[in-house]
Amino acid sequence: MEVARELFWNVGRAGNLAYLIMGIAVLIFIYALYERIMMWRRGGPERRCDRAGERLWGVITNVIGQLRVLRETYPGLMHGLLFWGFLVLMVGAALDALDHYSGLHFLKGRVYLGFSFITDLAGLMALVGAVLALVRRYVIRPRALDNKPEDAFVLLLIIGVLVTGFLVEGARIAVQAKEAPWERWSFVGWTAAGWFFEPGGSLGWHKALWWIHLLLSFLFVAVIVNTKLLHIISAILSTYFRNLKPQALKPIENLEEAETFGVNRIEEFTWVDLMQLDACIRCGRCQENCPAFLTDKPLNPKDVIQDLKAAFLETSRPFLQRLRSWGSEDQQGNGEGRPIIGERISEDAIWSCTTCAACIEQCPVFVEQFPKLMEMRRYLTLMESRFPQELQTAFRNMENNSNPWGIGMHMRGDWAKEAGVKTLSEDSDVEFLFYVGCAGSFDDRNKKVALAVSRLLEAAGIKFGILGVEEGCCGDSARRLGNEYLYQIMVQQNIETMKKYGVKKIVTMCPHCYNTLKNEYPQFGGDFEVYHYVELLSELLAQGRLKPSKALQLEVTYHDSCYLGRYNGLYEEPRRIIKALKPKAMKEMERSRSRSFCCGAGGGRFWMEEHLGRRINHERMADVERTGARMVITSCPFCLTMLSDAIKEKELEERFEAKDLAELLKEAVGV
Amino acid sequence: MEILVCLKQVPDTEADIRPTSDMAAIDYAGVKFIVNVYDEYAVEEALRLKEKVGGKVTIVCLGPDRAVEAIRTALAMGADEAVHLNDPALLEGDAYTTALALAKVIQGMAYDVIFCGKQAIDDDLAQVPSILGEMLGIPTVTNVQKFELVGDKKAKVHRQVEGGLDVIELQLPAIFTATKGLNEPRYPSLPGIMKAKKKPLKALSLSDLGLSEDQVGSKGALMKVVKYSLPPMRQAGKIVDGETPEEKAAKLVKLLREEAKVI
Repeated sequence: MEVARELFWNVGRAGNLAYLIMGIAVLIFIYALYERIMMWRRGGPERRCDRAGERLWGVITNVIGQLRVLRETYPGLMHGLLFWGFLVLMVGAALDALDHYSGLHFLKGRVYLGFSFITDLAGLMALVGAVLALVRRYVIRPRALDNKPEDAFVLLLIIGVLVTGFLVEGARIAVQAKEAPWERWSFVGWTAAGWFFEPGGSLGWHKALWWIHLLLSFLFVAVIVNTKLLHIISAILSTYFRNLKPQALKPIENLEEAETFGVNRIEEFTWVDLMQLDACIRCGRCQENCPAFLTDKPLNPKDVIQDLKAAFLETSRPFLQRLRSWGSEDQQGNGEGRPIIGERISEDAIWSCTTCAACIEQCPVFVEQFPKLMEMRRYLTLMESRFPQELQTAFRNMENNSNPWGIGMHMRGDWAKEAGVKTLSEDSDVEFLFYVGCAGSFDDRNKKVALAVSRLLEAAGIKFGILGVEEGCCGDSARRLGNEYLYQIMVQQNIETMKKYGVKKIVTMCPHCYNTLKNEYPQFGGDFEVYHYVELLSELLAQGRLKPSKALQLEVTYHDSCYLGRYNGLYEEPRRIIKALKPKAMKEMERSRSRSFCCGAGGGRFWMEEHLGRRINHERMADVERTGARMVITSCPFCLTMLSDAIKEKELEERFEAKDLAELLKEAVGV
Repeated sequence: MEILVCLKQVPDTEADIRPTSDMAAIDYAGVKFIVNVYDEYAVEEALRLKEKVGGKVTIVCLGPDRAVEAIRTALAMGADEAVHLNDPALLEGDAYTTALALAKVIQGMAYDVIFCGKQAIDDDLAQVPSILGEMLGIPTVTNVQKFELVGDKKAKVHRQVEGGLDVIELQLPAIFTATKGLNEPRYPSLPGIMKAKKKPLKALSLSDLGLSEDQVGSKGALMKVVKYSLPPMRQAGKIVDGETPEEKAAKLVKLLREEAKVI
């Protein structure tokens, strides 16, 4: 007997029926996928076809390499085993087919033994993965997972395919064991043969199991598109078509002529948005990292995606009817064109988001959860003027005085007059515009930070100036509160002023100004070289142009601002500055860098009451407390205010203080 | 129902207001203007009434070219059309000349209800609505906090008075002046702002009103501002120090008696 395996062994001519069944399963799969693609195309246009190499590399590392999935140990291992196991099995099946139909017959001898061993190992890996999934979902039951009947069906189907596969192999080996002792290499099948079958085996059992295995496998193929298994396809697509740009909200083009703004109907999303709804596998990582969800607010990013998906599927029904009747039935079906806001997504959920981007950061398949909420905010604000009461004041303040505090715009540069910091109208021959922002200009606590940044720049010999009364609000809050109209007015005004003075380089003290100036102003022709002070100051320290002389005799921790960290990847720069401060110890919080927990002020939440759930800044302060550090260092005016407030509200003034990095460096340099 | 709203554009509450060097006028350079805060309540109430019973809301505004911005804001909130009394001769007047010009144009219009703000937040005179009522020969109810229509020719309103509430029922047409608490003015939607740009806005000159230059502006005014000046700067506070509370109290009394001369 040859060291090899015969395809259709013991099945005979009836095996040909398998081709028919496979054909049906594949056709079902292809047609369902075609419908799905047409459904995604209900969405609006979006360009995501640039930088193909980078996109492909992301697929290789994150789909084949499972990079993001593996960030969590248990579920990462579980999914990795399943994924790689099935990947090898698929390659194995393809090789098997090639071996048989090409006539090359290379799977024999040692190659066959190796092949048998590897495919058995892969099957075992997948089986272990599936069991781990079963245990996690039904025994451990983490909060991140919600259970639907479909989850059990899919898991049992996977286990069924794998187990019957091994049983078929076992049954065959039981029959062949005597003449083919090399089948020990198919170690799982060999074991199964010993455990489940009489020596000599049973051809009848083998045949029955062969058919069951085959039917289950083709059932798997047929149901891919209409079960969660769809993510096998959609996760690849959502990874390929992921956002490669820095976190920036899309501009609304043609504000003057457009008829609707934002999104309140599912088809108003783009095709990428709709495809992402199908990529979500409900792993719950977004939920477990969402500051709103973790403080008991009525926002769960996973639910947002799933609720939108439900609306997507429902409103696709009449669309599919039309598609199936080749467009002859021109009816407007149930649910089509129904509003999402209020019916699917509550207004409270929409307004609870801090835009911290932890959801996107943690999503293994690159779903963009919160930007969808931003589109709904745009609808509420621009179309309906429906927003929490307190925002009307903030909007009016920005309209009338170009700052959300509503302090007279003529007072914007007052802090600088006292400090002797020059404006560009006094001297425009500078290297940097120091764009102070509203907090640094109007908030007493943050004016000290603006002053510290100025003194440090002076000490390092940087020629800079501010805009003073000519500076306007950067618009970040307005944009993230959905008020794109107000945002664009302020942006145009600022760009005009900056261009008037020939500004090329800008340094900001607020990560929110920084992000919008750097990543969003180019949408409106504002192309400047933008830095946050952490970049500039860490560089000046490295060049020796700033020399800290005093050591900070304290144990400190650093709170990563979302808009510096997750938005712009500035994790190391602030830490380098902290190192130069020579603190007694730098104690990282458990949630730091890309896992940093928001202070609660982003996305315009700074201007809103926090009525629902627990306070996010208190939650973050608890993280600080756990480090045992005496001081929490920030590099964002919002974070500084939120954490200072938390210290006051929790009556922790005796034990903790919050300081801005620039203030500390100023003290250390002694200017 | 024909609803009119009298509207004034005023400097922003946070604006840096200072007199011109000769102290004869206010220097408006660089000042941001807004819709008078109380007039916003008036616009909102007019819109709510229209939404309830139907009809048309017309804005009537006296002011220079820049006042168009305030008118457009009211149109963006939902008013249907506007009349802008825009003539250099009309400026520099007082409450009487303003009411006269408004009365002239309103007499030629259909109206059932006229809403005004209870006062403008710049000159704080609170006179125009009452004088206008006299000129039109209709009642004026000031400081309205709640407005209800009774039948289709009567209104029932709540007025806030010291320590209580007046409930008044009266025949329309009449003028009502709005105060805080009447409603929460809406924020214009973007489609509203865009539509407002195309809504009818009729500009009227002095001759359109059938008035002569002596009747209006500074010539027609019964009241003349002699001088504008800023209030004196507030002195910095003083912290009384001392070893013991007794010592501090003694020092404080001394200061109150000798420096502040209040006891």
